[in-house]
Amino acid sequence: MNLPETRARTEADQTVAVTMTVNGSEVAMSLPARVTLSDALRDHLGLTGTHVGCEHGICGMCTVLVDGDAARACLLFAVQLDGAEITTVEGLGRQDDLHPLQEAFGKHHGLQCGFCTPGFLMSSYDLLTHEPEVRREDLPAELSGVLCRCTGYRNIIDAVDEVAEAHRDGLPGPGNCGKHALVGRTPAGVSGSGAAAEVAADEAASGHPDEITLPSGEPTIGIEVTSQLSSSPEQVARVFRDVRLLARCLPGAELTEELGDDWYAGRARIALGPVRLSFHGLAQVLEQSDERIRMNAQGKDTGGGGAQARIEMVAAAREDGGTSLQADADVFLTGRIAGFGRSLAGDVSRRMFEDFARAVDRAAAGEEPDASARPPGALSLLWSTLADRTRQRVRRVREARRGRRPRGRHGA
Amino acid sequence: MKAAPFAYVRPGSVADVVGELAHDDAKVIAGGQSLVPVLAMRLGRPGLLVDINSVSELDRLSREGDSLRVGATVRQRRLQDDALSAAVPLVRLALPWVGHREIRSRGTVCGSIAHADPSAELPAVACCLEATMVLASTRGTREVPAVDFFTGALSTAVEPDELLAQVVLPVAKPGEGFGFGEFARRHGDFALAGVAVRVRTHGASPEARLTCFGVSDVPVPADVSALLRAALDATGPSPSRAALVCALAEDAGDVARDLVDTGGDSHASPAYRRRLISGLVAREVASAYLKATRSELERDKP
Repeated sequence: MNLPETRARTEADQTVAVTMTVNGSEVAMSLPARVTLSDALRDHLGLTGTHVGCEHGICGMCTVLVDGDAARACLLFAVQLDGAEITTVEGLGRQDDLHPLQEAFGKHHGLQCGFCTPGFLMSSYDLLTHEPEVRREDLPAELSGVLCRCTGYRNIIDAVDEVAEAHRDGLPGPGNCGKHALVGRTPAGVSGSGAAAEVAADEAASGHPDEITLPSGEPTIGIEVTSQLSSSPEQVARVFRDVRLLARCLPGAELTEELGDDWYAGRARIALGPVRLSFHGLAQVLEQSDERIRMNAQGKDTGGGGAQARIEMVAAAREDGGTSLQADADVFLTGRIAGFGRSLAGDVSRRMFEDFARAVDRAAAGEEPDASARPPGALSLLWSTLADRTRQRVRRVREARRGRRPRGRHGA
Repeated sequence: MKAAPFAYVRPGSVADVVGELAHDDAKVIAGGQSLVPVLAMRLGRPGLLVDINSVSELDRLSREGDSLRVGATVRQRRLQDDALSAAVPLVRLALPWVGHREIRSRGTVCGSIAHADPSAELPAVACCLEATMVLASTRGTREVPAVDFFTGALSTAVEPDELLAQVVLPVAKPGEGFGFGEFARRHGDFALAGVAVRVRTHGASPEARLTCFGVSDVPVPADVSALLRAALDATGPSPSRAALVCALAEDAGDVARDLVDTGGDSHASPAYRRRLISGLVAREVASAYLKATRSELERDKP
């Protein structure tokens, strides 16, 4: 392990710069020295999978990996971890591709309320990585660094023992480490991914960054929606050429500023039942023609979530004179919104694109798009999402391709 | 449970560290596994934390002659896993009892010794082995024997402007055997009572030295050679483990009575701690003797 670089004295009311790698992403933060790693992960990077219990090193809820070894994030000051490599439970597996330990905890009912689960997962990951030959009878003592108040440990031991048996020759590594956008919950916004911090600096200087860097790896949601519009391709082209009009077609969205060079600032509000999201962000139009528009966008939810997206829309003429509008998007979510079920977030996003397509159809016909006037209706959007899911279950039997609906409800 | 604000500095050399410590109200932080809870509970509010993790000369673990030198930022887990620590069997017996794996990942050997919790394992190990502490300050360095180092609960011979730069552990000699045991309410908790034992069998008659912890405000060393010799007189020089434990238990209660001077707490009364020490002394002195004489047939298990 490399030693951290030296730091000159920083007074108690100042912040200290620290750079570390979290789940494969390099992050640069500037924090008061007294901020613990657990608080930095949760509040400044939006990684709330690391739970905080006692905050003085007893309960083990906040266990993470520091340079491959389990450690308690509440007993480390973040500024001490300059140059360190941190892995949190978010880095262990993906919702659609869980780590074997996560699978086993589910299978054996190794969790009830779930509060201790991140701690147990990271502690047992460390154990099985360093002592793959561990015997079942030693597991209670070896896992004693984490407390559980629900299941009584028996099922946790069963889960860890099963994974140990199955992986004596080596436990698979963390399955979700790569470049992610990390956005904190702290309104002060003293933190962010290295890229985001640079973006903030660039924005202050010129209004927008040089480019929007999308994370590598799997998007949180992949959307592919084709809608049938009654408007002609020529009418749709008129909307495609007008970014202001296009923005008004997006439910809940509002174009607030044209920054020049195909850069736009805007905000979007989304309401889902009790959930209220309000995004402020930037979009860069990369390609704009009569039949194609391609853009990258990034936004920050005021409540502490982030979204980045690569969006492409293609309009094609249909035989009946109407237009087929295909939308493809890769959306990367972080922070609290990433906590939504992946499929629910996907359903909501698809619904938004369908509403968008309908609004484009209206705008193309010369009507007011009527989408920007209000955020997507709380109840209506959620209801239609849920109703859609029920219908989809029936439809899925016939529809082989995921994400592609046979025909938009609002089409011609 | 948030620490009060403090100034922070991370120097790159021992000279710079002790320079910072010369300021009032400065405190050294290495792994922080003892200090951070104290700060989080605001039991301590130092004005300045001097982080020593960037000092490469403190990150050394080395064998020099008959000594294992453990630098101030060497983690407990590193010492446990490093091949060099095989030369100091007692430290290998004791380290699994120090907190949990998660604590040992970051916690340092010197940090635990400098913190001097009366229930901590490593101060007792240092006393039992007659280790030497190397202290650095702007006035130079000095060496303090372990038995003089611990002055009270959480109190040591380290002056406010001094750094515990290194602990020097003597490596085991032929004919030495070691024992270590403790009782805690759960594994990883602070010990209610514990004992570290060193037995030497190279001379005409065996010597036994132990250090108890969790039973006073400091580690309590004692020479129990007489106890071991009396037991061996009863059993002969090559006893079975069970026979030796029984023979030692005859007088172990008297030893415990002398060593336990804690007032007790809600977890264990002084009387209960004496019983624990009595049992631990018999068991671990026997274990150490059997290892020393290499007649140990039973599996070594803490």
